[in-house]
Amino acid sequence: MNTAVEIAGVRFKNPIITASGTFGFGAEYGEFYPLSALGGICTKGLTINPKQGNPPPRATEVYGGMLNAVGLQNPGVEHFLATDDKRLADEDVVVIANVAGATLEDYIAIGERINDAHAQMVELNISCPNVKQGGMAFGVLPSSVEKVTAAVVKVCKKPVITKLSPNVANIADNARAAEAGGAAAVSLINTLSGMAVNWKTRRPILANNNGGMSGPCVKPVALKMVWDCFNAIQIPVIGLGGITSYTDVLEFMICGARAVQVGTANFTSPTAAYDIARDLAEYVKQNDIDINDLVGSLILNG
Amino acid sequence: MKDRSAVVLANERVADGVMKMTLKFDDLPQIEGGQFVHVRVPDGAHVLRRPFCICDFDKEERTIDICYAVVGAGTARLAEVRRMERLDALLPLGNGYVPEGGKVLLIGGGMGSAVLPAIVTAHPDKEYTVCLGFGDASKVVLVEELEKKGAKVILATDNGSAGEKGYVTDVAARIIRADRPDEIFCCGPEIIYKILAKKEEIAGIPTKISLEQRMGCGIGACLVCNCKVKRAGGEEYVRVCKDGPVFDIGEVAL
Repeated sequence: MNTAVEIAGVRFKNPIITASGTFGFGAEYGEFYPLSALGGICTKGLTINPKQGNPPPRATEVYGGMLNAVGLQNPGVEHFLATDDKRLADEDVVVIANVAGATLEDYIAIGERINDAHAQMVELNISCPNVKQGGMAFGVLPSSVEKVTAAVVKVCKKPVITKLSPNVANIADNARAAEAGGAAAVSLINTLSGMAVNWKTRRPILANNNGGMSGPCVKPVALKMVWDCFNAIQIPVIGLGGITSYTDVLEFMICGARAVQVGTANFTSPTAAYDIARDLAEYVKQNDIDINDLVGSLILNG
Repeated sequence: MKDRSAVVLANERVADGVMKMTLKFDDLPQIEGGQFVHVRVPDGAHVLRRPFCICDFDKEERTIDICYAVVGAGTARLAEVRRMERLDALLPLGNGYVPEGGKVLLIGGGMGSAVLPAIVTAHPDKEYTVCLGFGDASKVVLVEELEKKGAKVILATDNGSAGEKGYVTDVAARIIRADRPDEIFCCGPEIIYKILAKKEEIAGIPTKISLEQRMGCGIGACLVCNCKVKRAGGEEYVRVCKDGPVFDIGEVAL
């Protein structure tokens, strides 16, 4: 039996990673359980300079999910390097620094700066739907996905994961573009662009008008896209979108995910990622399997 | 920190559109007034917990009360929860409010009043005057509970159908002029804070308010509930759930 997976030479003790933006830098959830119970954690999206984010309301619930438009509020990469990155260095968990920018120069600058981090990997956020030029511009066309990936890969010594947006014509084309740009892996899906409306006031509920939808309601979309990307590329796929249980993890891995990320579920239950990792380990033990054997094992109907 | 499973001992209508729920815990940690509990809605459709101020608590019985208005699908579902059902609840969250002076004026506007009893329960050794304001008599809650705790309660309604007619901010201003308190705590809709902040009566009296915002994690990680406060060098967003919900009235960008 084995729950460990490897992505770009980095070993994860289990395939459970917390998704960027739902987990801060781990400190708050670290009060509920040891972070070492997880395979990895993805940091809040970092930018070169501190960012204030959007005005509230920044989130609202939708049926089976939520919309958010936090707008990448973060203390900036220098603050991260001086504080959270050092604290996380003592934790037995893979740390993935999620980075974002408004321009190609921003991405190159932060890709270079992150070389000094303890964080073992970098996740490129080129698909944030909530910020004007918050990377989304880079996430739509395959040509720009390749360009920004290649630019960061060139300067960054750490394996680069390109996080893909589902709000595109054909996500498999974007996965191929990330691979062509030198990405070590892709992660998908980022949130689906959406809107919630108050019919009484005739206004969108979020101050930003639009937001990114996540939670169980997006899972079928995510599974299909993970399967499509798995079949399009050779590099590993990290799957996310609405995972709330270990059986969801199994579904994503069967569709081709080497590892998964848990996001919105952290809000429903602060121990969600811990519980999922524990339940998955129990399943692997009971059935005496190597979890890697599940990856891409989907059997399509005739 | 841990998530707790609580037993619902009561869940009853106490005013028009307002429910009061009593939750019993195996172990109840220390609670301050102004802190809140993050309650999981018991179904798969509602992925976000609902933050409610801890209305009151009983250390010995290991219970808390929450008072909530049924305003959306989540609170409608919670209103259906029956006695002896279990709910996941995270508590206590937020900074809370600890009165320091001897003479304290508490101001509650509508459902904001629900935060006040716990303040008195946590620190019963103060002299409390409480101004409560509601739209009309059908919305009035908590008057008796606060009086039982020894607080002096002045009730006002917008239309005069219960207590005196008028706005709670005007009543509070009158009380401050007549008998200047050492400090003020106010909880209600944002409009009350805007009006209170302009009252010259509060000048020189430490005044705290409790903010409300749509929340994600409730523990400070997701930055969903942030509000703007004035800090050195300008305004910045801070977390209502972790840095608040209680702030000085002067530091909040109203």
